[in-house]
Amino acid sequence: MMMRLMSWTALIFGCLYFLLPLIGMAEFSLKMRRGVYSLDAYAVVLADPAFQATFGYSVLMALMTIIFGVLLVVPTAYWVRLKLPGARPYIEFITLLPLVIPAIVIVFGYIRMYNTSSWLPLTGSVTGTNILLMMGYATLALPYMYRSVDTGLRTIDVGTLTEAAQSLGAGWFTILAKIILPNVLVAVLSGAFLTFAIVIGEFTMAALLDRPAFGPYMQLLGANRAYEPPALAVIAFAITWACMGLIQLVTRFSKHERARA
Amino acid sequence: MTDSPDRPAKRPFRLPFEWLGLLPFAVFTLLFLILPTMRIVIGAFQTGDGSFTFQNIADLNTSSIRSAYWTSIKLSLISAGLGCAIGFAMAAAVVFGGLPKGIRGPLLTFSGVASNFAGVPLAFAFIATLGPVGLITLWLKTEFGINLRALGFNILSFWGLVVTYLFFQIPLMILIITPALDGLKREWREAAEVLGATTAQYWRMVAFPILFPSLLGTFALLFANSFGAIATAYALTGPQLNIVPIKLFAQIRGDVLGNPNLGYALAFGMIVVTGIANFVYIWLRTRSERWLK
Amino acid sequence: MTMKFALAATASLLTLVAAQGAFAQSDELVAAAKAEGMLTTIALPHSWCGYGDVIAGFKAKYPEITVNELNPDAGSADEIEAVKANKDNKGPQAPDVLDVGLAFGPSAKAENLLQPYKVATWDEIPDSIKDADGYWYGDYYGVMSFLVNKDLVANVPQDWADLLKPEYAGQVALAGDPRASNQAILGVLSAGLASGAAPGEAAGKAGLEFFKQLNDAGNFVPVIGKAGTLAQGTTPIIVMWDYNALSARDTLAGNPPVEVVVPKSGVLAGVYVQAISAYAPQPNAAKLWMEYLYSDEGQLGWLKGYCHPARFNAMAAAGKIPQDLLDALPPAASYEAAYFPTLDEVNANKAAVSGGWDATVGANVE
Repeated sequence: MMMRLMSWTALIFGCLYFLLPLIGMAEFSLKMRRGVYSLDAYAVVLADPAFQATFGYSVLMALMTIIFGVLLVVPTAYWVRLKLPGARPYIEFITLLPLVIPAIVIVFGYIRMYNTSSWLPLTGSVTGTNILLMMGYATLALPYMYRSVDTGLRTIDVGTLTEAAQSLGAGWFTILAKIILPNVLVAVLSGAFLTFAIVIGEFTMAALLDRPAFGPYMQLLGANRAYEPPALAVIAFAITWACMGLIQLVTRFSKHERARA
Repeated sequence: MTDSPDRPAKRPFRLPFEWLGLLPFAVFTLLFLILPTMRIVIGAFQTGDGSFTFQNIADLNTSSIRSAYWTSIKLSLISAGLGCAIGFAMAAAVVFGGLPKGIRGPLLTFSGVASNFAGVPLAFAFIATLGPVGLITLWLKTEFGINLRALGFNILSFWGLVVTYLFFQIPLMILIITPALDGLKREWREAAEVLGATTAQYWRMVAFPILFPSLLGTFALLFANSFGAIATAYALTGPQLNIVPIKLFAQIRGDVLGNPNLGYALAFGMIVVTGIANFVYIWLRTRSERWLK
Repeated sequence: MTMKFALAATASLLTLVAAQGAFAQSDELVAAAKAEGMLTTIALPHSWCGYGDVIAGFKAKYPEITVNELNPDAGSADEIEAVKANKDNKGPQAPDVLDVGLAFGPSAKAENLLQPYKVATWDEIPDSIKDADGYWYGDYYGVMSFLVNKDLVANVPQDWADLLKPEYAGQVALAGDPRASNQAILGVLSAGLASGAAPGEAAGKAGLEFFKQLNDAGNFVPVIGKAGTLAQGTTPIIVMWDYNALSARDTLAGNPPVEVVVPKSGVLAGVYVQAISAYAPQPNAAKLWMEYLYSDEGQLGWLKGYCHPARFNAMAAAGKIPQDLLDALPPAASYEAAYFPTLDEVNANKAAVSGGWDATVGANVE
C-alpha cells in the first residue's frame, strides 16, 4: 500500500537522522587511542578534576533549583486552584513568559539590575551570584514545573481534600505537606527530572555569570580537546535520557497505582 | 467555601487575604523575570544619561546588526519550516500510516529526550558525525568516494547549523502535532469516504484546514525556539557566526558595539521577534482547540 | 563594613611598604593576600605556556587563596572589556590580573585601567618589554608557527605562500578572532611581514590582503582554531604561537600526528605582558600572584610550557635553567631569525588589523 510505504520511509528517514549523530558521537568518543577503540576518552574525562568540580556544581545547583521550585510552585498552584481560580489565566501567562523571553535576555537583565551598584548587589559576591544563577534556573524551569504540578492538581479534588483536612483540624502547612504533596508527587517528580535535565546542560546563564557550571565546561573542552567532547556529549545524552525515562517510569507507576485503588 | 479555623476573624472591611498566598510567587517573578525584562525594554529607549530616545532602535539599522537579524530570521524560518514538514510526516506516519502500534510510545519518548538535547553536546554529536572526519563523512568517502566538502557541504556553515537545529525542532513538532492528529476523528474520514472523496481530497479539504492553525502555531513556536537559541550555535561555529544571540552574548561579555544602550536595543529586538512568534502560536492554538473539543 | 575598611587600610599600608622595597613573596604580602582569600584571573587556558601547572603550583603554595578562573577563551581585547565592564563590581566577575598582548598594555594604561607594581625581580626583565613606571611588564614570548594535522594534510606547508595553494582548501585558520585576540592579530602581521612589507601598519595591511586572498581562494576557515578543532578536522592548519602548537602536540599525543612548522619567511616573535587591574577587588592577591610568576618557580613553569620567560637571559646566565628544559624548547635557530616588533609597530598593526578585518577580509561563517 502506498500509504504504508510512505509512512515507513518517513519513519526510517527520521530514525536514521536521529540515530546517526548519536552513533557518530559515540564512535568518535571511542577513538582516543589511535587505531583501536578504547574508553580512554571517558577515563580522561571522568578523572579530570574540572569535570568533577563543574559536574558536582551543576548537580548541586539542579537540586537546589528543584527544591526551590517545588517550594514555590506547589503552594502557589494549590492556592490558585483553591482560592483564586480567576487568577489562573494570568498566572499561567506569567509562567509561560520564560519560554518567550530568551534566556540570554533574562540574564542580561540580571547583570544590569543586580550588579554591585544596585539596591540588591547579588553579583558582588560568590554566594550572591550563585543565588542569582539559581533564580535564573528556577525561572527557566518555571513553565515546565508549573504546568506539571497544575496538571497533577487537576486530577485530585483539591477542594474536598482541603475541607476534609481542615475539618480534622489541620493547618495549611500540614495540608500542603501531608495531603497535597504526596498526591501530586508524580507530577512534582516529572517537573523535577525535567528541571534537572535543563540545569545540567544549561550554558548561557552560567557562562555570562561566570560560574563554574557543567555547560561552560563542556563548551571549553569542545574547543580544546578532540575526543573528550563527544564522550561528554554521550554522558550528557545518557543523563537526559535517564531523566526522561524516569519521568515515564514514575508516570506509569502512578497510573498503575491509581488503577489498583 | 468554608473558612479555615485558623483564619483571622472577619474584619469590618474585607482584606483580600487570598492574594497574600500569591506573595512568594509574585516576589519571585517580579524580581527575577518581570523587572529584569522591563529593565532591558526601558534601557532600549534610553540614552547613556537616562533620557528618552528612539536613537538606539534607529542605530540597530547598521549593516552588521541588520545582517545578524536577517541571518537569525532566515535560520529560524528554514529550521522551523523543515522541522514542521519532517515532523509532520513522521507524526502522520505513526498516527495514520498503518505502522505497528508499538512504535508510537518509543517515538514520543525519544522525541521528549531529543527535544531537550540541544546545546553544547548536540554540536559535538554533529561534528563527530558530519564534520570533516565525522562518521558519515569518512564512510561516504571510503565506501562511495563521495567528498562532502567538494560537494559544498560544510558542517560549520549556515546549512550545517540548520541540519543541527533540526535535531530538536523535529521532535518538538512531533510532540505537539501528535495530539492534534489524534484529534482528527475517524468519523470525519469515514464520512468523507462515504461522500466519495479520495484520500487526497480528504486531506486537502478536511484535514489540513482543521490542522492548519496547529501547524502554523507550531511553526511559530519552532521559529521562536530557534531564534533564541545560542548554545548550540556557539559550540558549533564559535563566536564568529553573525546571528543576534551571539552578537548579544559578545555585547554582554564586553561592549563590542561601543554603546551599552545599543545592547539593550538588540535584546529588545529579540523580545519583539520571539514575542510576536509566541503570540501567534498561542492565538492559533486556542483557535485550533475549538475543533479538537 | 568595618572589616572591609580595616582590610583596605591594611592593604594600602602594605602596598606602600611593598612598593618601596622589593619584598618578593614576603610574609606581609602573603598574609594580606590570604586575608583577601581569592584571586580572579582571566583568559588563562591551562595549555597556554603551562598555565595549568603554574596555577596548580600557586594553589599548592597558598591553599587559602581560591583561584577563580574566568573565561579561559578570552582574547586580549575581551580581557580589557572585562575590566571596563566590572569597574563598579567587586564581585567574582571582575578580573584582578591580566595577561595581554604587548600592544594592549600601553592602551590599557592610557585608559587608566591598570595599577603599577614592580616585582622583586624587576631588574631582570628586559627594558624593551616593560613599562618604566611599572604598569605593565613582559612575561614571555614565542614565535608564530603553523600547527598541521598530518592525517588530513599530505604536504605540510613550509611557508606563508604555500598556504594559498588550492590543496589547502578550507583548512587554514587563525587561533583567535582577529578583532580581539592578540595571537590572531599578530598572525596577520606575520603574514604581512612574509610578503616583504615593513613592520607596523604596512605589514598589518599587507597581512589583511593576504588573508583576503586566502578567504577568496576558499582556503580560510573563519573559525577559532584549537587543538580540539584540529583533531576534529575542522581546522587542520592553524596559525598559532609555537608554544601553543607544541603544547597541542603533547595533548594530542600522536592522535592525530601533528607537525609544528616555523615558516621560512615572516618569522615574528610576540611578547605578552602582565598587569594588575586598577579596579582589582583583591589587589594583594594580585601582587602575590605577580611575585610568584616572576620568581624562579613561576618562570620555569612557563618554560615547561615551551615559552621563553621574560627573565630567560638572566636566568640562563645564572645557570638556573635545567638542561632538559632547554632541550625541549623549540630550536634556537628560529629565534635568531625572528623579528621582535617594537611597541609602535605592534600598536600600528593592531589598529590596522582589528579595525580593518571586517572591511577587508569580512570572513564570517556563512
